[in-house]
Amino acid sequence: MAEPATAGRDGPPDLWDPVVRIAHWGIAAAVLLNGLVTEDGGIAHVWIGWAMLGLLALRLTWGFVGPDEARFTAFPPSLGGALGHLRALVRGERPRYRSHNPAGALVAYVFWAMLALVSATGIAMTGTGPVGSLERNTAIETQDWSTLDLSEGGEWDEWLEEVHELAANLILLLAVLHVAGVAVESRLMGHNLLAPMLAGSRSARGSPDPGTPPRMPR
Amino acid sequence: MNPGVPERARHRPGRHLAVLAAVVSLQAIAAMFFIGDALADLASEGPTLHIALEALVAVALAVGLVLGLVQLRRTLERLRAQEAALDIARGAFATVIAAQFDAWGLTAAERDVAMLALKGLDATEIAALRGAAPGTVRAQLSRLYGKAGVSGRAQFAALFVEELLAGALTPAEAAAAAATDAGRPQAGARPS
Repeated sequence: MAEPATAGRDGPPDLWDPVVRIAHWGIAAAVLLNGLVTEDGGIAHVWIGWAMLGLLALRLTWGFVGPDEARFTAFPPSLGGALGHLRALVRGERPRYRSHNPAGALVAYVFWAMLALVSATGIAMTGTGPVGSLERNTAIETQDWSTLDLSEGGEWDEWLEEVHELAANLILLLAVLHVAGVAVESRLMGHNLLAPMLAGSRSARGSPDPGTPPRMPR
Repeated sequence: MNPGVPERARHRPGRHLAVLAAVVSLQAIAAMFFIGDALADLASEGPTLHIALEALVAVALAVGLVLGLVQLRRTLERLRAQEAALDIARGAFATVIAAQFDAWGLTAAERDVAMLALKGLDATEIAALRGAAPGTVRAQLSRLYGKAGVSGRAQFAALFVEELLAGALTPAEAAAAAATDAGRPQAGARPS
């Protein structure tokens, strides 16, 4: 494979590529909506869940075919690496990595595993795909259950629901930890992690050189 | 010195990419709905021709999505490579200019004046910028042209434009350029 154009860069990108950003903010919005706003098991909840799964699949595919810094190989999961990064921060160092820092990377993998688990249990409970769940909800609204097969076992469903809720609460807890981690590293350490995920640049790289004289008309 | 790229030049292709990425993301969501629906149909009805067709469409969607992502990655990398090449060219050109100024033995003041002259400023404008008398700047310019062996500002700038057109813009070639008086790499140093 050819040498990537960004070789020799000593830090992560000034701006994450659009696929990473869309997946990140799309999944964040879906988690907040389904965790805090929508009615559990409601039609909006199920549709948002499927959309989130689409974005998750997008990001995971991007981890294999995307640009260098978005690939899994750029940020392998490592508990030792994550702890090492946190120790370095405590020591007052500001280590730089070409992708997510090891602590952020570990959080990302746990996020993805939990999102996959919450999707799998959610699908197992609704069982019938996004359109099927529409039929089910129509049945609930119209009190007409004749179109539905209600033979599923109760114990299995309860277990699925427990796992679903546990995973969902873990995701919300992780989100709080994640935001706190970004805030601490960005504010206290002066190492802006938010701007590259939003739209701005990490450093003052884009600012014009004040030493350049103004261009004069000929 | 770092002549800044106009901001819009850097961000316009970025916006184009963001639109592409947004469309691919919508495709991913749509594909997920479709695949989910096909799987649900398969689970409830078993394999029928209708479901086989649905499965085919779902597979085609997924494959198209992956190919779209690969294409997006290539576009992204091409844009980055262009930006990197531009940076290298800019840096190498600055090296060529500095090496040439060294070779001519310019004084610090003459270097400043020469750089401003290269940027297209005339003697009056340079004098205003430097807070010097126009006569002083004119004298510096004529000493500069004498050292460079050119007749005036246009020819002076043309020396460096020729460097650009000759493509002698890698750092190695810039070093080779510094080694010769005329500021041109030897014939052997230039890729045929």
